[in-house]
Amino acid sequence: MSENESTTDGTGSEREAATDGGRKAADGSGIVAPDDETPTWRERKERTQGLSQLTYEYFERARREDQDLRTESDYVERDVLAFPVWPHEMIRNLALTSFFVGMIIFLAAALPPHIGAPANPSQTPAVILPDWYLYWSFGLLKLGPLNPDLALLGGQKLMADRTYGVVANLVVVGFIAIVPFLNKGAARRPVEQPFWAAVGVFGVIFAATISALSVKNLIPMDSHLLFDLTFLLPFVGGFLTYAVLKSMREGYMFELNRRYYRLRPPK
Amino acid sequence: MSLERKDEFDHEGWMKERDLTPIETIYLTTLMWLDKRLRIVDYLELLEDLYYKINMQMPKSHTEQYNLDNKFWYWYPLYALGSFSTIAYVVAAISGALLGFYYSPATTGDPSTAYNSITFIMTDLRFGFFLRSLHRWSAQVMVAAVFLHMLRVYFTGAYKEPRELNWIIGIVLISLTMVFGYTGYLLPWDQLAFWAGQIGVEMALSVPLAGEWVAQLLFGGFTLSQSTLQRMYILHVFFLPFVATALIAIHIGIVWMQGIAEPH
Ligand code: HEM
Repeated sequence: MSENESTTDGTGSEREAATDGGRKAADGSGIVAPDDETPTWRERKERTQGLSQLTYEYFERARREDQDLRTESDYVERDVLAFPVWPHEMIRNLALTSFFVGMIIFLAAALPPHIGAPANPSQTPAVILPDWYLYWSFGLLKLGPLNPDLALLGGQKLMADRTYGVVANLVVVGFIAIVPFLNKGAARRPVEQPFWAAVGVFGVIFAATISALSVKNLIPMDSHLLFDLTFLLPFVGGFLTYAVLKSMREGYMFELNRRYYRLRPPK
Repeated sequence: MSLERKDEFDHEGWMKERDLTPIETIYLTTLMWLDKRLRIVDYLELLEDLYYKINMQMPKSHTEQYNLDNKFWYWYPLYALGSFSTIAYVVAAISGALLGFYYSPATTGDPSTAYNSITFIMTDLRFGFFLRSLHRWSAQVMVAAVFLHMLRVYFTGAYKEPRELNWIIGIVLISLTMVFGYTGYLLPWDQLAFWAGQIGVEMALSVPLAGEWVAQLLFGGFTLSQSTLQRMYILHVFFLPFVATALIAIHIGIVWMQGIAEPH
């Protein structure tokens, strides 16, 4: 933490955003943003009215907040923080890209696709399938047995099985979309939040099992067993993840506190 | 010594007294010629300004500050999955454009022009079989990479504030990727394509409230026909490429602005 000392020993009044690792470039050789006649947010604010004035007022406050945070922070500000793009990054990226494209070309050469019989509306084939990555969606269409029926309607289903399947698709995608609004906070590692890690593992396993369910006539297994496993396995995986992470947590959080949170406590 | 008046703006005189190499002379002459017409220097100044501003504000990353790199470097390959999705998308776009030279979306003919153009590509066109294979595989690899990328984002908690918006854009992107795959799957107009299309129409019809409207819009009717194939074709080669490319650009632009979420 040698770079930090320059800021931590300063008293409040003489704390400044230290660029260049705290060394002051008094000779003017440091990088200085050109000073120009751009009006400040305050000046712009005073020149306008109504909504645009509000906008500028907000900008002024926001920039102010940034500035305060920056002066409070014990970050060390520096002129340049990066590897040079050339050659470091470029060579690494080229290597990765050519390897990856090579892999695609290899797959394409080794396992070419074929084409089936031409379309024939009057003859339904035995196996109808989309590409593998849509199996999950196809599987959700086969959840008919879970479609609740209402005693009020005399045991009738509220919606057709097919509609139910389509709605299930929307629910799954919708749930994934709102995850950032359900799980907030500073935690990043799965051990910090065993529950959400368990939800993730549940999702991954469910994606696999629901895909298997969609091709149930190709899987040599009793279809009722498969149906039950489709919902059982994700829960088993989720619980296992939860248990394992929960028991790992104490030791891990100790390390994490020592390394990170004690230095930079979460808000 | 010349008798011509020299002022501050006499760039030629200035160049003469500098004793420049030919390369420098050519460079400066071109630059001046362009600058007189296009005010290039102004833009260079803007860029320079931006460059300094960007670099000046960069704090030390906390992986650096708390020396966490020794703990995390082995996860870094997973952070390449987003770039791999992009690369696979580019490969698919190039091979797809080449395929587009030979494919025509028509259900007429024996058995159909679409089907025939695929068999032509596979049997008669030089490198055609490989081209189709390449397009197929890059699409499959892209879907896989996008899915794994999403898992990486989930399990590293990278979707949290301030990256919620990018997560939602990501959901739209993965959906678009799959729709890309689906519309492409229908184009050969073979048995699999036809019956997958049948399921699609049925799914569209079962959408609550808007079902018939959706089926009309996307499939051009309630049964499969020429208009279905044509719509799938336009979606696949015109509509989706524009939307997906723009969204990927925005997605990566946001990552650029916000930086990669660091593990801690
Ligand atoms: C066409 C598909 C996609 C492309 C081309 C793409 C591309 C990228 C790239 C290049 C990055 C930079 C970091 C990295 O590579 O890991 C990134 C980050 C990110 N992506 Fe995607 N992505 C796609 C789909 C998705 C999906 C499906 C999601 C989630 C639902 C998602 C959410 C995010 C988020 C939240 C980040 C920021 C992560 C961080 O800051 O660590 N993206 N994306």
